[in-house]
Amino acid sequence: MPTIAGPSLSPHKRIVAARSENTGCPRSAEDITPRKRKLRSDSAAAVPTPIKWKSPRRCALMAEVEEEPNGMLETQFDCLDGKSKWNPRDDDQMKAVKEALHVSTAPSTVVCREDEQRRALEFVKGCMEQNKAGSLYICGCPGTGKSLLMFVYEFFQEGLPCLETVSVNCMSLTKTTDIFSKVLGENETGKKAIGSSTPLEQLQILFSQKQQSSSSKMMLIIADEMDYLITRDRRVLHELFMLTTLPLSRCILIGVANAIDLADRFLPKLKSLNCKPLVVTFRAYSMQQIVRILQERLVELPYVAFQPKALELCARKVSAASGDMRKVLSVCRSALEILETEVKGSTDEEPQIPVPEDQMVKMDHMVAALAKTFKSPVVDTIQSLPQHQQIIVCSAAKAFRGSKKDRTTAELNNLYMEICKSSMITPAGITEFTNMCTVLNDQGILKLSQARNDKLKRVSLRVDEADITFALKEIRFFRNCLL
Amino acid sequence: MGKENSAEKALNLIRGRLCDPTSVFRPLSGSSDSNFSKLKFIVSTSITEGCNNSILLLGPRGSGKAAVLDLVVGDLMEEYPDSVTLIRLNGLLHSEDNCAFKEIARQLCMEHHLLFSKMASFDENSQFIIAMLRECGLAHKTIIFVLDEFDMFAQASDLLLYSLLDAMQSVTSQAVVVGISSRLDADQLLEKRVRSRFSHRKILFLPPSREEIDSLLEHLLSLPADSSFPSGYVSQFNEKIKNITSDTRFKDMLKTFLNANSTVNSLLKFIFRAVSSMNLESGLLSLENFKTALSSMQRQPKLEAVRDCSILELYVLVCMRRLEVKEQSSYNFISVMKEYKTIHDSFQTSDYYAQNVCLRAFEHLREREVICYAENRGQSQAVEYRPMKLLISASELHQGMRSHACCPAILLKLLDH
Repeated sequence: MPTIAGPSLSPHKRIVAARSENTGCPRSAEDITPRKRKLRSDSAAAVPTPIKWKSPRRCALMAEVEEEPNGMLETQFDCLDGKSKWNPRDDDQMKAVKEALHVSTAPSTVVCREDEQRRALEFVKGCMEQNKAGSLYICGCPGTGKSLLMFVYEFFQEGLPCLETVSVNCMSLTKTTDIFSKVLGENETGKKAIGSSTPLEQLQILFSQKQQSSSSKMMLIIADEMDYLITRDRRVLHELFMLTTLPLSRCILIGVANAIDLADRFLPKLKSLNCKPLVVTFRAYSMQQIVRILQERLVELPYVAFQPKALELCARKVSAASGDMRKVLSVCRSALEILETEVKGSTDEEPQIPVPEDQMVKMDHMVAALAKTFKSPVVDTIQSLPQHQQIIVCSAAKAFRGSKKDRTTAELNNLYMEICKSSMITPAGITEFTNMCTVLNDQGILKLSQARNDKLKRVSLRVDEADITFALKEIRFFRNCLL
Repeated sequence: MGKENSAEKALNLIRGRLCDPTSVFRPLSGSSDSNFSKLKFIVSTSITEGCNNSILLLGPRGSGKAAVLDLVVGDLMEEYPDSVTLIRLNGLLHSEDNCAFKEIARQLCMEHHLLFSKMASFDENSQFIIAMLRECGLAHKTIIFVLDEFDMFAQASDLLLYSLLDAMQSVTSQAVVVGISSRLDADQLLEKRVRSRFSHRKILFLPPSREEIDSLLEHLLSLPADSSFPSGYVSQFNEKIKNITSDTRFKDMLKTFLNANSTVNSLLKFIFRAVSSMNLESGLLSLENFKTALSSMQRQPKLEAVRDCSILELYVLVCMRRLEVKEQSSYNFISVMKEYKTIHDSFQTSDYYAQNVCLRAFEHLREREVICYAENRGQSQAVEYRPMKLLISASELHQGMRSHACCPAILLKLLDH
C-alpha cells in the first residue's frame, strides 16, 4: 500500500515576521513560462534541500513561535493586509490555492500536534538512549493527523541513522501473520533462515540471543491501522507486542489505530507483565486548531484567498460535527469551486468588465459549500418523487408512528388506498404499488424484506419521520395528512 | 408506397433516437446548471490541475446517471486524447477484493497494452496497481475509476475502497473515483476510515421538470427538416406532434403517467411504445397511440383475469369473498358450495349448476392464480377439502366485476352485503 509520498515543494518555510519578502509568483523561480498544467515532473525533479528536515531543536523553536494561540491569529490577520489582491480568474493562482488546500499536500511541519510529537519523540529517544525496547500506541479518530505525524517521523529518522524503520499498513496484509515476515524481511542479519520455523519464531530467536555484531541498529516498527491485526484469539497482536518484552529485544513498536481502549481490551496480559504500551491520544481538532492549520497552509500564498470569517465558520461547523481535518479541506475546496463557477460564469457574458474589488471566498460561498457537504439528499429526493410515491412515503410515516415498526405490504396498501380515496385520487393497483415500493427500497427510503409472496413482505421506514414532514410541508395535502 | 417507406424510415429514425442515451441526455444537459456540466467541471479540473477527487452520483434507477457519466467521459476523451484512462467496476460482480483487484489489473493491462497473467496473486496485483498509479501520475495521465452499484462496494469489505482512496491521498497519483448508486445513504454505509477519505461531493439526479420534459418530447419526436424525407411529410408530421403535445388530454395522460413513475427511462419506454404503434398508412402519430401505450404500461393483470371470468366463476369468487367477510378464517370448496346454495335459495338466481361443473370452474380459477391453496401441506387430501384463499383484494374484485361485459347485477349487490 502506498506510503505517503514526499511533501509538496512549496518554498521554504518562513516564520511569520519575515512574510514581507514574499513576492508575486507562489511557485519556485524555475516556473517562468506560464503553463496551464503543473507538471508532476517539476516537483519530482527538484530535490528537497536539507533545510527541510526538521531537527528536534528546530521543531521546538517553531513550536515556541506558534505557541501563542490568539496572539498569533492577530499577527496573521495583520500580515494579511500586506498581501496583494487575488485574481480568481487567473488559472495559476486558483490552482495554487487549490493545491495548498489539497489533502495530499502535506505541510512541512505539523501544526497543533506539537505536544503529541514531543511525547512520541521523547519516548523513542528514551528507548534509544537506554537501548531498551518499548511500545507506543497512537489512537484517535480518522482525520486527526496520526499518519501525518508518522510521515514526519520518516523524515525525522533520516536524521538519525541508527534507526531501521519498517512501516507496514496492516490493511494490506493478506494474512495477519504476514506482518512478522515483513518485519523480518527488512532485517537481514546475515543468518540463514531456518526453513522450518515461522517468521515469528525466527524473530523471537533473534531477540532472545545476543547479537554477534555489537553495532546493531534499533528497529522501529510502525504498524498503521493496527485493528486489522485483531483476530479471534488475538494471538498476532499479542505476539507483536510481546516482541518488545523479550530480554534482548531491540525493537520499538508504534501502533496506530482508531480505538482508544485497544490496549486495554485486547492486550490485558501486557498489563500483568508490566509492559503496557504508552498511549498517545490524538483528540479531534478544535475550532482554533483548525483555523490555525488552515492559515498555516495559506500563509505561503502571497494573496488573500479566503475571508477570515469564512474560515472560522467552516472550522466551527466541522469541529462541532467530527473534528476531521480532511472534511475541512474538502469543504474549503468546494467553496473555492463555487467561487470559480461564479467568476467564470460572469466572464462569459461580459469580458470587458474589470475584476471587481476583493474577490475572495466569502461567507455565502462557505455557507453553500457547508450545505452541500452536510445536507443529506433525502429531503430533496422526497420532494421530487412522483405523487404516488410521495403518498406511499406519507402513509408509511403515519403507519410507523406508534410502537409498531414494520408492517406487511398489504397493510401499507390499505393505508395508501385510504389516503387516495380521501382525496379523490385513483390509487394504483397492487402490482404497481409493489413496484413503487421496490423503487423506494432501492433508493434507501423504505426497507423491504424478502418473502415469497409479494403481499407478505415486511416494510419498514429507513428515513426519519421528521425528514419526511419537513420535505412535504409545502404541500398542503400532505400537511393535513400527516397531522 | 412512397408514403409508407418514409413512414417506416421516420419510425426507424425516432426509435433509434430513443434507444441511444446520448441523443436523449444531450439536450437535457444543455444548461450550465445541469448535472452534466457539474460533473464535467469536477472531472476536467481534476485532469487539468492534476489533483485527486472523489464524487458520488445518486438518484433513482433509470434517471440517467451512467448515461451522463458516459457523455462526460466521451467528451473528455476527445478533449484530452492521451491523458485519460477509464477503469470500470461493478458492485454486483467485483465487490470481493480479489476479484476487484484482478479486474483493475486486467483493465489497466488492456489500456496500456501489457500482458496480463491470470495467475498473478493478490499481492502482485495490488503492487502492480500502485506502481501503475505512480507511473500514470508521473506521466500526467488521469485514471478515472467508475464504481457502479457503489453501495455494494461500501457494504462489502473495505480493502478496495480504502486502498483506492488512500492512494489518492498521496501526491504521486492522479485519479478520480466516481461512485454511482441508487441508495441515497450510500456514503453512510461506508466505514468511518473510508468515509473520512472520501470527499463528500454528491450529485443528485432528480426527475426532469415539466419544461424539460416538453422540450425533450419535442426534440425526440420531431423529424429533421434537411433529411431525405419529402418536405411536405416532414412539416405535416411535426405539425401533428405539436398538436398532440399541446392537447390537454395528452397533458393529463402524461401527468397520470408521471405521477406513478417519473424517471427519464420510464418516459422513454412510454414514448417508444406509443411510437411503435404508429399507423404506417397515415405515417403520422396520433393521440390514440399514446393512449394504448399508457394502458399497456399500466396493466393490472388480476383485474384482467377477473374481467375474463365466466359468470359461474364470478359466483365462486363472490361466495369466497362473502365467506371472508363473515370472518371465516379458512374455507374450502365444500363451504363455498354451501354458500352458493344459500344464495340460490334466498335469491332464486337462475344460474345454479351442479357440483362437478362448479369444481371445474374452481380449477380454472386456481390455474389462473386468482385463488390458491392456503397451505402447501395436505397434498393427499382431495381438492374439495383443502383450504383455499383469494389472491385478489376486494376492491380489485369489485372493479373487475364492474368492468365485466355481462356481470349480473345481483352479484354486485351480493358483494356489497
